[in-house]
Amino acid sequence: MSIQTNRLSRRTVLRAAGISLALPWLESLAPRSGLANSTVPGAMAASVDAAATMPQRMAFIFVPNGVHLSDWTPRREGYGYDLPHILAPLAPVQEDVMVLSGLTHDKGRANGDGAGDHARSASVFLTGAQPRKTAGSNIRSGISVDQVAAKAAGHATKFASLELGCEPGRSAGNCDSGYSCAYSSNVSWSSEASPLGKETNPRFVFDRLFGDGNSGMRDKDSLRREALKKSVLDFISEDARSLHSRLAANDRRKLDEYLGGVREVERRIERTDDEPKVSIDVDYPIPKGTPDDYAEHIRLMCDMIVMAFQTDRTRIATFMFADAGSNRGYRHINVPDGHHDLSHHGGDAKKLAKISEINRFHVAQLAYLLKRLKSTSEGEGNLLDNSMICYGSAISDGNRHNNENLPILLAGRGGRSIDAGRHIRVAPETPMCNLFLSMLDRFGTPVDFIGDSTGRLPGLTI
Amino acid sequence: MPHPTSHLTMFTATLAFFAAVPVLAVDPGPVSDPAPANSFATNVAPFLQTHCIGCHSADDAEGDVALDQFTDSAKVQQNYDLWEKIVRLVRDHQMPPADESQPTSEEIIALAAAVDTELTKFDCSSERHPGRVTLRRLNKPEYNNTIRDLTGLDLQPANDFPSDDVGNGFDNMADVLTIPPVLMEKYLAAAYAIAEQVYEDESVRKRLFPHTAASDEERVDAAKRNVREFATRAFRRPITTDEANRLFQIMREAWEKDSSEAEIYTTIIVAILSNPNFLFRVEQEPAADTGGIHILNGYELASRLSYFLWSSMPDERLFNLAASGELQHHECLENEARRMLADPKARALVDNFAGQWLQLRDVSRLMPDPQAFPDFDGELRTAMRRETEMFIETMIREDRNVLEFLNADYTFVNARLAKHYGISDVDGEEFQRVPLPKERRGVLTHAGILMLTSNPTRTSPVKRGKWILENVLAEAPPPAPPNVPELEAGDDRLGSLREQMEQHRTNEVCASCHRTMDALGFGLERFDAIGAARDRDGKFEIDASGELPGGRQFDGAADLMRILRDEKSKQFCKCLTEKLLIYALGRGLSSYDRCTINDAVAALEQNDYRFGVLVASIVTSDAFTMREGNIEP
Repeated sequence: MSIQTNRLSRRTVLRAAGISLALPWLESLAPRSGLANSTVPGAMAASVDAAATMPQRMAFIFVPNGVHLSDWTPRREGYGYDLPHILAPLAPVQEDVMVLSGLTHDKGRANGDGAGDHARSASVFLTGAQPRKTAGSNIRSGISVDQVAAKAAGHATKFASLELGCEPGRSAGNCDSGYSCAYSSNVSWSSEASPLGKETNPRFVFDRLFGDGNSGMRDKDSLRREALKKSVLDFISEDARSLHSRLAANDRRKLDEYLGGVREVERRIERTDDEPKVSIDVDYPIPKGTPDDYAEHIRLMCDMIVMAFQTDRTRIATFMFADAGSNRGYRHINVPDGHHDLSHHGGDAKKLAKISEINRFHVAQLAYLLKRLKSTSEGEGNLLDNSMICYGSAISDGNRHNNENLPILLAGRGGRSIDAGRHIRVAPETPMCNLFLSMLDRFGTPVDFIGDSTGRLPGLTI
Repeated sequence: MPHPTSHLTMFTATLAFFAAVPVLAVDPGPVSDPAPANSFATNVAPFLQTHCIGCHSADDAEGDVALDQFTDSAKVQQNYDLWEKIVRLVRDHQMPPADESQPTSEEIIALAAAVDTELTKFDCSSERHPGRVTLRRLNKPEYNNTIRDLTGLDLQPANDFPSDDVGNGFDNMADVLTIPPVLMEKYLAAAYAIAEQVYEDESVRKRLFPHTAASDEERVDAAKRNVREFATRAFRRPITTDEANRLFQIMREAWEKDSSEAEIYTTIIVAILSNPNFLFRVEQEPAADTGGIHILNGYELASRLSYFLWSSMPDERLFNLAASGELQHHECLENEARRMLADPKARALVDNFAGQWLQLRDVSRLMPDPQAFPDFDGELRTAMRRETEMFIETMIREDRNVLEFLNADYTFVNARLAKHYGISDVDGEEFQRVPLPKERRGVLTHAGILMLTSNPTRTSPVKRGKWILENVLAEAPPPAPPNVPELEAGDDRLGSLREQMEQHRTNEVCASCHRTMDALGFGLERFDAIGAARDRDGKFEIDASGELPGGRQFDGAADLMRILRDEKSKQFCKCLTEKLLIYALGRGLSSYDRCTINDAVAALEQNDYRFGVLVASIVTSDAFTMREGNIEP
């Protein structure tokens, strides 16, 4: 049972929730000014100048168990590449999608830690860090690329970032060969010890994004309640700080997470002071909950990302279509077998064909997201022009569990800083984290390194 | 940006730690029971000589790991962390490196057993090592139950929270329970919703805030008493004067802003329910002058007990015993534990401990292939889970012999499950206790467990065997080497499943582990993938006979279970104790926890294997009653 009562009709809630929103990039260009001072390669700086003063968005989508690579990798490189079976659903948006072949996640390899490739594949996906092999004590990975960006630029939006998924994680048992389930059910890490749990219920995502009052309707009562809430937040922060001073390092990390959460809430209350100047109207039925239909579930979550980007609730999202090593069956596309069981295909043609179908299904959902972004106009272009959507798996072939030549797509144009629509092949063993560095540059939050990066990824522009 | 620690530097760090810090706080002196016939020299040294010393010796040791310094048992015990790591790397086929000659599986298993023997001989009286639990937040069931017991309202607000991650097989592991920003938002939203419900329900409000004022002058006093008492229960300890004053200050501010009574109450309740002292289970750090170890205070013990056995806050009686200091006496702890096990709230131990240990929570998510099992339905699945839950519930409530887990000749069924088992004369949806047919014995023959360890279309003797080794006998097999070919399902031309598996085992690399794993699974082959009894698998007659290592032969499940009961009782008790201790402490186990486990197993053996004895042994152990300073290297 939920105690969050919301019995209002859709229309009332939409009004009351106030999906009439500011377009803050008309007033604040803070992230972009940061870019000007940074060490960005010349070619890119020029294209950034040409880009409109629109905010950039980025999203990272994780799929488990690798793919059937020979049905994935286009034979031709450059513009107008062919679309193999798995990528075929991308046809309508192909000119916005770059296929990147040859990237590697070395820290997804065992490197002395033995079995557990699936758990590693999720924890390494956005961190490029070797996870510490532990079933429950002192979990350690690294900060993930989305959180690097969120820490630097998340203050510009109501939510620093969104973490979404379709599977709630395991409720019992062990996840993968001595790795805690925290590694296999999260891709986003706010610090090396703090995975960010994901939201799997579209209804809760909607409520969180749009369900907390309209700043245009602030009366005396709501101002008073806000003041009371602030005094509560002050009180609990003080208690947390007082505990912090009395406890040891391990315990302090937990209180840091707590205080970080309180600060996020405080920041949001303060933001309501400078709200809408320009508004747009979004009309969307409130999701009822988690749908039984998996495709519908993914699409609802994609809608949440589109609306969150469109209304500038956040500019950063991660989305796990399924958790690492997921053994979900895909009856709705006539593949009732468990995905993980299938991925150990042993070269069997029948199993490979089924894996291709699952991979293609996932890509079709991505295509849905891209089409939605593309059909949402923004300035003189569309939302996809101002986005970077990175999609893929940190395992290449589910049978061999290898971590080189990963199946990776980069969709969107990053504010005209990416020459999309090409298939490019990078040098073998090029770290996936090099792509992240280049994305962070374009997002306006450059850093010197992330995970095992060795430099920027060349070739995103011609 | 942190760079991940490589395998090599971890090794180095481990050694540096041992070099710099004396591991034993107290000089252990000579180990009380010197290895008979020097087991180290016989069982460990030859392996090192053949496979390790080439690279790992004094002068130019790879990774600064010099294994030639180990000449006897005492040194192994002093460096137990390193030795546990060595065994893990060897078992995982990570060491020796792939381009060196490889030990056989027999050698690996023998090494693991020998090192384990060395570590088991650790002298528990030589030092105290209660271990340390990281500051732990309430998980979802604990939050729900705590709100229920605190307010009397069964609101289940945590059902909307994100899932708690699992570590060591359980979702109450302190290190794994994090607070992402979205959870903090949910805590606040839940606190507001709870406050509203509390305020709106007059009877609840009067119960939680009983003090009333006869005059205006008394109003402030009454309000203060109400707040102080509520906060004391919520924080599970008396609140300090400073905390009380600051809470009153919030009330005053609200009042000065012309807030309604409802708003004032709401604000106070939210301040308490979103407070770290409510959301976390805070335990004080040992002061430096206690040698880094101290006994928990009464309130901390009360919470440890109540969250272990009830997944909830302490009740009034526990609070009283905490206040009087009685709870720090072991006799009192034991009595309270027994009282609590008999309370209906101990059902939490079934849902949260057994539900995860035996993965009963997963049973509800299983969907066998509808073509292979057309009779299967949701009603049967629910009954399967309920059967095992009731069995465990009964074991707890009636303080039964834990070995019945292995070979009980009774179970609990309703009409649907009785039909599935071929038991006659059971009507209706109510569960009742019945004798089992002669082939079924113990929990391992419960339909839910048999289904959980099967594939959707067929049984998997390997899965069943592996599950038993991991979850019941504490002998988890090492992971299979990479690129092992999978068994092809359903190809009858290759013979029965069993014949195919036996071919599979002609490969020596696989055989040493699969011999035990498969034998256990074969013994259960007269039950299909949804746990129904059968004599045939397609066109093949079932052969449920087998031989365990050591030459013990059996035919069928009942026979196998009797052997496990007679010969593996110690391993079972050790396994159950380990799992229950992990759950009770909220942390993974370390080498020094062996002492607690050995004590508990001995107590079980001396007291007719009663479940309550196990719980009593755990709650009076050092690990449960004490806290150690920060020992993170």
